[in-house]
Amino acid sequence: MRFWIAGTLLLSAGLARADHMHTVDHGDDGHAFGAGVTMIAASFDQPLYTGNYQGVVPAVQWANERFAAGTSVALYRLEENGAEFYGFGDFVIHGQAMLIGNHHRHAGVVAAVSAPIGDDRRGMGMGHPMAMPALFGTWMVERFAVAATAGYSRALGADSGHDHGMWPIVEPMNMQEFTWSASGDYAFTPHVHGGARFSGGVPIGNGDNRIIGAARVAWGSGRFSTAAELQAGIAGDPFTVRGVVSTAVSF
Amino acid sequence: MRVILLLAFVVACGPSPEPTGTMCPEPDPLTLTYDNFGHEFMTKYCTWCHSSELPRAQRNGAPVYHDYDSLLGVLETPDHIDEQAGFGPDAKNEFMPPDRCPSVAGGALDKNCAKPTAEERTKLAEWIACERNRNHSFLDAGVDAP
Repeated sequence: MRFWIAGTLLLSAGLARADHMHTVDHGDDGHAFGAGVTMIAASFDQPLYTGNYQGVVPAVQWANERFAAGTSVALYRLEENGAEFYGFGDFVIHGQAMLIGNHHRHAGVVAAVSAPIGDDRRGMGMGHPMAMPALFGTWMVERFAVAATAGYSRALGADSGHDHGMWPIVEPMNMQEFTWSASGDYAFTPHVHGGARFSGGVPIGNGDNRIIGAARVAWGSGRFSTAAELQAGIAGDPFTVRGVVSTAVSF
Repeated sequence: MRVILLLAFVVACGPSPEPTGTMCPEPDPLTLTYDNFGHEFMTKYCTWCHSSELPRAQRNGAPVYHDYDSLLGVLETPDHIDEQAGFGPDAKNEFMPPDRCPSVAGGALDKNCAKPTAEERTKLAEWIACERNRNHSFLDAGVDAP
């Protein structure tokens, strides 16, 4: 059950930094630790930069029936306008609490905070901390599940006159924006499901509207779970196309 | 959690591009111009990558529309120049030029970049502060000034 919830939630989260976070199949354990790794490959064609990037994102997570928390940090290879750079992305810590839940419906809050360890001048970090809280809801009927999130993200501690627009290259966000996502999944078997989602950000003040569309498949077996997602930038030039593959193990 | 907060604090307190706060003297002394300073400075330190003649793949990471091979190009992003390479009362920015540069414009990063002196960086900030407020006509270059 929680495989459904967490997979639907985190792979559909409107939080840009959580877009590629993977989750783990906890089974029905009272609590579970998990560790995973996500591989990312993307091409982008933005007004100022053209290129591609690849990322490896190790992550750890803990969860019980109502709460979950985790951290992740990405290591990127970024090629932009003919230059090649290697470096970390921003460090992200996130938490989630389910406030309402029964067999078919769940709702709660999820929040992420990023620490700016990524090189913002190269496009691998935001350059300042970000706070990204959101509400989520899921609804499941037999083999179908739909989920949605609505959130608000903003830069912390940035100068009032400092507005770089959507940044960084690897996970672009506006300095302040409303975030959203909507997704639908179908369980082909108890352990394999697939679906589609849309997510985005609406700037508050200066910035660009951002919309991402994605198709995905996820499967789990025992302690292991894996998901693959093909994403397309529909509006706002977050990327042209991006592939994300995640795998995780719980213990 | 303490480690995370400390890490965020340390990173957030690292150097970042800042406006130098340089003001052009009143009245503008016209001692620093594109012809007697800016063109040479840009040619020596910047246009290896920041050139309108370079396609994206040969810019070694320089963003598009940040081209300093003309006065018009400089005036498109004067704040960025000041915040990346200028010295002034509020900041001393040494983010540009980077450590490695090409031997020929658009080439591979095969040599250490020449670095402006502190005096050159101070003049850069002053020239930018003055130049951006001067009247310009780019009609003779076939370009309509804003």
